[in-house]
Amino acid sequence: MKQKLTWMLTPLLVLFMTFSFAQEKTVTGVVTDQSGLPLPGVSVVVVGTTNGSQTDFDGNYAINVNQGEKLRFSYLGQKTVTMSVGASNTINVQLEEDAEALEEVVVVGYGSRSKELSTSAISTVSAEKIEAFVPSTSIDNILQGQAAGVQVTAANGRPGNTAFVQIRGVGSINAQTTPLYVIDGVPIPIDTERDFNPISNLNPSDIETFSILKDAATVSKYGSRGANGVILITTKRGKAGEAQIKFSSSYGFGEKIPDNFDVMNASQKLELERQYAALGVGAATSTPGATSSPAELARLISLDTDWQEALLKNSVIQSNNLSISGGDEKLTYFLSLGYDKNSGIIQNIDGFERISTRLNTNYQAKDWLNIGANVSVSRSTTDLPRDRNNVQNPISAMYTYNPYEPLFLTNDDGSLVTDSQGENVYNPTRQGFQVANALITEPEDTRNLLLIGNLTAGMTFSDKFSNNFSVGLISNRYNRTSRSLAGGVLNSIVGSAAFPGTQTDELEVDFEYNVNNVFTYSDTFNGVHNFSASFLLEYNENISTDLLASGRGFPSPSIPYLDVAAEATTVGSVESRRILFSQGLFMDYDYDGKYILSGSVRRDGSSRFGPDNKYGYFYSASAAWNIANESFMENSIFNTLKLRASYGTSGNQNIGDFQYLNLLDFANTYNGQTTALPVGVGNPQIQWESQAIFDVGVEFGLFNNRLNGVVDYFKKNSNELLLDRPISYTVGDENNSIFSNIGEIENSGIEVSLSGDVIRTQNFKWTLGGNITFIDNEVVELVDGEDIVTGTFGDNILRVGEEINSYYAVEYAGVNPANGEPLYYDLDGNVTNEFSDSFQQLQEGKSPIADFEGGFYTAFSYKGFGLRGDFVYKGGNYIYNFQRSSGISIGNIASSQRVEAFNYWKQPGDTDVLPSPVYQSNADQTSTRFLEKGDYLRLRTLTLDYNMPRDMIDGIGLNSLRFFVAGQNLFTITDFNGDPEVGLGSAESGEPGDTGFVPGSFNLFSYPNTRSYTFGVEVGF
Amino acid sequence: MKNNIKLLVLLFSFGFFLSCDDELNDLQPFVEGNPETFFTSVSAFQNGVDGAYRQLWNYYSDPGSGLQGIPDILSDNVTLVRTGRTSNSTYFDYRYVASTAGPIDFYWSEAYEAVNVANLVIAQIDNLADGAEKDNILGQALAIRAWAHFDLVRFYGKIPTQSADANASLGVVYIKAEDGDTEDPLAEPVRETVASNYAEIIGDLERAAQLIGEDNGEGKLDVNGVYGLLSRVYLYNGEYQKVIDAANKVDVELATAEDLEGLYTDVNEAGLVVELAINTSSESTGNNVGVLYSQTTASDVLEYAFDFDFFNSIDEDDLRLGVISYIGENSGNQYNAIAKFLGETGEVNGRVDIKVLRAEEVLLNKAEAQFELGLDALSTLNELRDLRYVAYDGGEAGQDLEDAIQFERRVELSFEGHRFFDLKRRGEPVMRSTMGDIIDGSGTPPDFPTLAADNFRFQMPIPIAEINSNQNIVQNPGY
Repeated sequence: MKQKLTWMLTPLLVLFMTFSFAQEKTVTGVVTDQSGLPLPGVSVVVVGTTNGSQTDFDGNYAINVNQGEKLRFSYLGQKTVTMSVGASNTINVQLEEDAEALEEVVVVGYGSRSKELSTSAISTVSAEKIEAFVPSTSIDNILQGQAAGVQVTAANGRPGNTAFVQIRGVGSINAQTTPLYVIDGVPIPIDTERDFNPISNLNPSDIETFSILKDAATVSKYGSRGANGVILITTKRGKAGEAQIKFSSSYGFGEKIPDNFDVMNASQKLELERQYAALGVGAATSTPGATSSPAELARLISLDTDWQEALLKNSVIQSNNLSISGGDEKLTYFLSLGYDKNSGIIQNIDGFERISTRLNTNYQAKDWLNIGANVSVSRSTTDLPRDRNNVQNPISAMYTYNPYEPLFLTNDDGSLVTDSQGENVYNPTRQGFQVANALITEPEDTRNLLLIGNLTAGMTFSDKFSNNFSVGLISNRYNRTSRSLAGGVLNSIVGSAAFPGTQTDELEVDFEYNVNNVFTYSDTFNGVHNFSASFLLEYNENISTDLLASGRGFPSPSIPYLDVAAEATTVGSVESRRILFSQGLFMDYDYDGKYILSGSVRRDGSSRFGPDNKYGYFYSASAAWNIANESFMENSIFNTLKLRASYGTSGNQNIGDFQYLNLLDFANTYNGQTTALPVGVGNPQIQWESQAIFDVGVEFGLFNNRLNGVVDYFKKNSNELLLDRPISYTVGDENNSIFSNIGEIENSGIEVSLSGDVIRTQNFKWTLGGNITFIDNEVVELVDGEDIVTGTFGDNILRVGEEINSYYAVEYAGVNPANGEPLYYDLDGNVTNEFSDSFQQLQEGKSPIADFEGGFYTAFSYKGFGLRGDFVYKGGNYIYNFQRSSGISIGNIASSQRVEAFNYWKQPGDTDVLPSPVYQSNADQTSTRFLEKGDYLRLRTLTLDYNMPRDMIDGIGLNSLRFFVAGQNLFTITDFNGDPEVGLGSAESGEPGDTGFVPGSFNLFSYPNTRSYTFGVEVGF
Repeated sequence: MKNNIKLLVLLFSFGFFLSCDDELNDLQPFVEGNPETFFTSVSAFQNGVDGAYRQLWNYYSDPGSGLQGIPDILSDNVTLVRTGRTSNSTYFDYRYVASTAGPIDFYWSEAYEAVNVANLVIAQIDNLADGAEKDNILGQALAIRAWAHFDLVRFYGKIPTQSADANASLGVVYIKAEDGDTEDPLAEPVRETVASNYAEIIGDLERAAQLIGEDNGEGKLDVNGVYGLLSRVYLYNGEYQKVIDAANKVDVELATAEDLEGLYTDVNEAGLVVELAINTSSESTGNNVGVLYSQTTASDVLEYAFDFDFFNSIDEDDLRLGVISYIGENSGNQYNAIAKFLGETGEVNGRVDIKVLRAEEVLLNKAEAQFELGLDALSTLNELRDLRYVAYDGGEAGQDLEDAIQFERRVELSFEGHRFFDLKRRGEPVMRSTMGDIIDGSGTPPDFPTLAADNFRFQMPIPIAEINSNQNIVQNPGY
């Protein structure tokens, strides 16, 4: 009671004192660190009030305060300092490093742990790295080159599209190798099989850190979901103190990365046609180059069209973000609002647009109860161009349409043809498809409304017992509308004249909830033995429903609703669910922070496996030794030196539902009647794919942590691999494959990451950092030792003892200099002028998987100026260059060609040439001729920024003001004939989840990667 | 008090998970059925049979690879239009290899899927009570199984009458549930001989003929359909008396010349014995088979047009000419375009039913068999010619009569997926016109106008995916 009274009186007293002694004035000063360098971002608060400020880039602060009050200066890793305000208007403070507080905290599975006590290989990517990227970039793309052991390949350049992320190599050879993403404790369901990836709907500006869990010590805690690694995303939170308002805005444009090869212009193309026709190539004899009079040729040359220019545009990239954060000692909040737009580079369609909001709050409800609630809602829309291997795809079209065929039809005199309405008429070209018009008349777009919420209740029962209960919900509403407008390009081909115009609407609602409870006991014995144990219960269920309707016969293209359709054609609805129920026990022990042991066991039950194999057990054990904490290391150059090792298992259940059952499908009709068709051969024996990872690593920090590094060696064995294994067609299975456990693969490698301050002075700082991962991989075991041919086009193979997904191709032996004939190797290694698919052989050491990859950066700062370049690189992988093959194929003479096609064999003795066109049949074949090295180095981002000094912006009421210019993908070094960053070859031919899909194995006219330039400003109030 | 609350909260937290194991174990598929338990009623079995028809329809009607047109593209009936998209040109130009996309991969996959469904029905047929309904289901399933295998063996293997070594050469794998062929999804079966395949095809069809119903409605097999198929299979197998006997059991009137236009626009079903149908309203995005030959946009995009010599060999008194051809225009050129599959009345989308087997073919099968046996084939041939010509000379005998039967067959069944197999089974070469693709014979001639009768390319390669997944399969010679 007495205490309560004191609390009630205190504000009154404060009020009274305020009235009595109010002598407000502005205090300024500089906050520096131990070595005298200015510290930006130091929180300056008037004790007992919510009045606060922060230091700017140069360590300056300014705050209104009354004499006699106290200022508290706090900063992560520094000892907090409290100063009384006296007569002076200047208070300069030098903060001291706080050895205890410096204990950087890392987010690990189901909680966090001080970095020093962690036994695990974890890479952390923090907010400042994220900010350098084009804001509309999907967050997984941002991770490229940022962390050792994380291999990121953009699926393609389509705005809003996600990336292929692999942690420590190919953990599984079934296509789903995406790691598990967990955002603030909520696992994000990703189903690449149906292109469901909510990651693209997250606002990168909301993210504080990514923690990438790579070794068994942490991923085993995620059991069956951990085999591909885990990426934990922590969003920003408010800090106690006055509200911080930040606004940032950027604007820029992008373009397709220019080709590193030349495409023929009209006169070149006509000349090649003439040459081919003269050589008797059938496909060339009717071409204009072969048949036209000189006058006609001149006319065609005058029509010279660059189809890339005709079909592409510069994209507009826009981003605006507003955030407000703050709080007091009990309640903190972070509120944000973001808007992003990237119009994409394809003419006539819009790209990607996203609006997102987030509110993160934390409330200390009772002294024993802490409640957190994070809610985010975002909506994105994407226009989808057709991604297939024909001219309906504008990217394919721009390399296929002849340069002498212009965008619009022209009359012989060169004037434009107009229709009865006076409009220009799109040229169907010899491909018979008005692709530019189709972009208008065949619109398809998707809208996603994503809601993620989580509630946590942390309870402290006593010093030793605590409990954390959390419920995470994620719900996504996906709408897709695809239309063929009446009178449009496709409608006039495949539509019905009686019912012009078609439309399909799809609504898919995904709902996943994850409930978990972690009960923890922790204790210290004799002051040096620290022990803790946590018991986890977790239930995860995913429910997805889909509704689809289509109709035909539309009165007007401007009413895109099925209500006005004359006739309904298709309807459908489906539901699917999966459940995962888990128990786990996690234990940690350390002796005085020097010797650390951790262990975990987890049992998962999954609805994806049959009754006999429903449950899987996963475990791990790890240890670490903090050498730097030993007394004999005092006064050494090492600030940090830690050795650690871990071993454990995790699992993979990334397969479709009910693969263990034979199923009958009723989705198709025959002549309007229901059909029952078997859709898959079930395999009741399938069981968990499991993975054992061994890891040893050393972490070090030298010279006052000016040089930091981590080196890890890992070996990862994936057993009982799940693969949609090809089976004989004679079985009559729908996709001619059966999900089975087919063998074992091994990935081993070394990861190194280093960063250091080369120069660190008061005004000038130069930092260098980078990482590299070397990976070796090998197929260790396959069922019955039999090879498995895989890949979208059967161009890859799994063979015991060889690299995973090695290329399986006929080996090209060059051109016979005597007659220009293409030569191949038969299986006995003899050179022959025959071509046969039976010559296909494993190409040793050539696979789509890189031998090494990584990234590095260099950053300079001088006073307020900063310059930072981030590079990514990769090497040792091969890519099947179908785009080049299509650009110089003899049979494709009636389509656009690369200039390189002129370089064919012309006379005896010609070497280093393409085959003579007279050998079309044998030349136009898939062989190693088009298998090219995919090595590259790319300047991913280059950012120049300037922070205005405090004294210049004080007068206008701002806390901070930053300008920046950023460029993405500014230059690339590669020998590959085309863009070497290949993820998705062609969405229609092979996507993740399709049988045999191997990311990065070939290019085939998917959305190109872009280069962009953005300019922006950030303001803090 | 405070501790009680804490305890309650803790119990609540744990209690949530109590029933989770049940949820996990009880989850069943939502929209799929169980093939082991689904087939218990006549209607369920009919769903299975309709599924099998659907699989056949898939490979007959495919706009890129349909069996309704590919055998014409492989033959001398058409020529590649160079201003088109040159689709299937690898096939037209005889450049295909085991890894070539399109029909080679597609038929092998889809036909065996049809076989698989048929076998699913056959294996569980005893779930139905004995009687006419059970017989009718079983009859359809057996006939479909035979039909799909027949398509496989005539495409990938030799035809018994093609050459002396044909019967002993490699056919396909004949999958029969009764023989336990369907039990192991990891089986890697071997190819059987052509003779063995034909024996099993004929066995299934003859059994089906005894079981199947009189009339199963549009798009489904019935007793006429099975005998129609038998007349064709016997002809391929050189059993000529049986051709005649089977043909005589087919009770379908020939289409008159007036009927033809309506036949190809799906207004009537004159003369149809076997068809694979599409409901163009509820299946409005279904396959449009006509795309094999042409697409109609603002202008025609022709893929294939009449072979120059073939077109000019058609008599001007032939009442079919205006039904099967029209003058197509593209890129300023005129072509003799193919009109059979342009679409239903008023449509140009190429979406029509598949005409698999018509009374006219049955009659021509019979005429050919009669000729082979030295019987009166002329009167049989004239039954058709009377309906198709304003006037004709007729009266042929010997070689002239044989030629007349084959010519009539070529014209009547043109573009419906017969020509390549007819040349193949008769051991004749493909001899295309050496004139160009344009209406007046100018333009580009075929790259390969002739395919000698003994060329290995008459037998398609087994697709590379099968070679890769089945170690016991043997590739055809030449590939």
